[in-house]
Amino acid sequence: MDDAQGTLARLPERAFWPQVRWQAGIFGAYFGQFVKTRLAYRMDFLVDTLGVLASIGIQLAVLTTLFSKVSALQGWSFEQVLFIYGFSLVPLGLFNLVSVNLYGFSDAYIIEGKFDRVLLRPVNPLAQVLCESFNISGLNEIALGLVVTVWAGIRLGLQPGALDVLALLVLAPTAALVYLGVFLAITAVSFWFEDRMGIAPPVYNVIRFSRYPLTIYSLPVRILLTFVLPFAWVAYYPATWFVGGADLKFVAALTPLVGLVVFGGAVLVWRRGVRNYTSTGT
Amino acid sequence: MSGAAATRLDPWRRSAAATAGLYLHFVRLAFLKFLAYRLRYYTGVISYTIFVAGYYYLYRALYASRAPGPGGVAEMGGLTVGEMITYVAVGWIGRSFYFNNIGRDLMHQVREGQIAMQLIKPYDVQSVMMFEAAGEAVFRLVMFTVPITVVIVPLFGVHLPPQPVLLGWTVLSFTLSLVVYSQLNFLVGCLAFHMKNIDGVLRAKMVSGDFLAGVIVPFSFFPEWFQRVVEWLPFQAIGYLPVMIYLGKRPGDELWQALLVQAGWAVGLWLAGRVAFRRSLRQVVVQGG
Repeated sequence: MDDAQGTLARLPERAFWPQVRWQAGIFGAYFGQFVKTRLAYRMDFLVDTLGVLASIGIQLAVLTTLFSKVSALQGWSFEQVLFIYGFSLVPLGLFNLVSVNLYGFSDAYIIEGKFDRVLLRPVNPLAQVLCESFNISGLNEIALGLVVTVWAGIRLGLQPGALDVLALLVLAPTAALVYLGVFLAITAVSFWFEDRMGIAPPVYNVIRFSRYPLTIYSLPVRILLTFVLPFAWVAYYPATWFVGGADLKFVAALTPLVGLVVFGGAVLVWRRGVRNYTSTGT
Repeated sequence: MSGAAATRLDPWRRSAAATAGLYLHFVRLAFLKFLAYRLRYYTGVISYTIFVAGYYYLYRALYASRAPGPGGVAEMGGLTVGEMITYVAVGWIGRSFYFNNIGRDLMHQVREGQIAMQLIKPYDVQSVMMFEAAGEAVFRLVMFTVPITVVIVPLFGVHLPPQPVLLGWTVLSFTLSLVVYSQLNFLVGCLAFHMKNIDGVLRAKMVSGDFLAGVIVPFSFFPEWFQRVVEWLPFQAIGYLPVMIYLGKRPGDELWQALLVQAGWAVGLWLAGRVAFRRSLRQVVVQGG
């Protein structure tokens, strides 16, 4: 422990990789501290697990009921739709884990001036904001999403090879980057404007479109979800790696690229915003 | 205390008209309070349109995947695709009206200790919260439900009710939904007297409430046993019954039965709330501050 803290307390080196290692260590410690504070409220975590279980259970009940009326939804079987739904929970959980601070960013960091403190530290400001607190509920979504995905995969008789496991490990986090990019860009806008309308909630509500196969939507909606508000890339496109035809594998493989482009674009907006930031002085 | 103020404040000396004036004042206050936050509701219109759009595409795809019935029209749970989309749209339009958070408000008042200030005032806390919910509903009706209706009805081709008079009954039915929904929230809020944190309970209620109210999937889609169960729960009196009235699926005496079931739940939950609130007060401890 002393050694770890000693490493963290040491002044950062200038070289790139030692910097990254040092910063990653800091945020590992952030997470550890956060978990310790949460351990005081074990009941909350239990209740939260039950809440996530209930909402997934209801979604499964809805799917089961709808599929009791038809054998396939526009060519997609129950198990395929279930797989897409289960998969969608993994990037969503990863995103929910770190996104709590983005929602209150304008109020807590800009209006109340918490961002001054962030800028005074020699660590990446964005990473500090994302890691200041976590939404542990995300871990529940990841775990239960994997259970649903694996169960649907077994029912589908999938035979995953090493490449598929690798694909899951790459596709899920890069799909989460799409979420993070979209909401980071929205958050960064508050460096210029005070958002009194709340544009994040309607955008967040569009996420529900990503649970179902994209082909059930009309062409304009598909274009919107692929290119404008790219939530088709958080579940449907990456999941088609596993449940779509061979022709869709190529599209699924584009997910990391889309994730990096969306997130990279958002980081550029964020950086401009940080440069534009003037403290309220509070 | 001067005579006029005394007649207004002492509950046992207050005239019926003064009492009505007092509680109606809370309708106005709540309306004005929400008017200050009206900007938030503009994006809310977009959110509700997104909710309905999601189900619109889902149900269209579902009906398109179903073999047509005897009349050449695909039907599920007694509804055609047009009726199904109307079902979802009217359900969400109604929800935009009756929705409120008084359970959470009560929880905050208990947690922060403001409930003490409520208790020393000469009024009935449960009634005040109900009238505030009514004020919020009036606000939502004008600033939220009407714009949502104007957007959603033409966009998704929502049907009118088979007879125009059903529109009036639907409005009455959703007004009863408001009472049932608010009283259910109040009852859940009373749990805050007994538990430190009811966030989880409130979220579970939020998640399961829309489902059990039939806002997402109509009950007629479900297996028989499930339909029997939900008939005995208050949630159907919130979302399902008003929409079935709108669609003309409650003809003749069934219309009265549906409204009576709603009124019964409204009264029953009100009484349950009274009992729960009084019992909870026996053990409330407010820290000074």
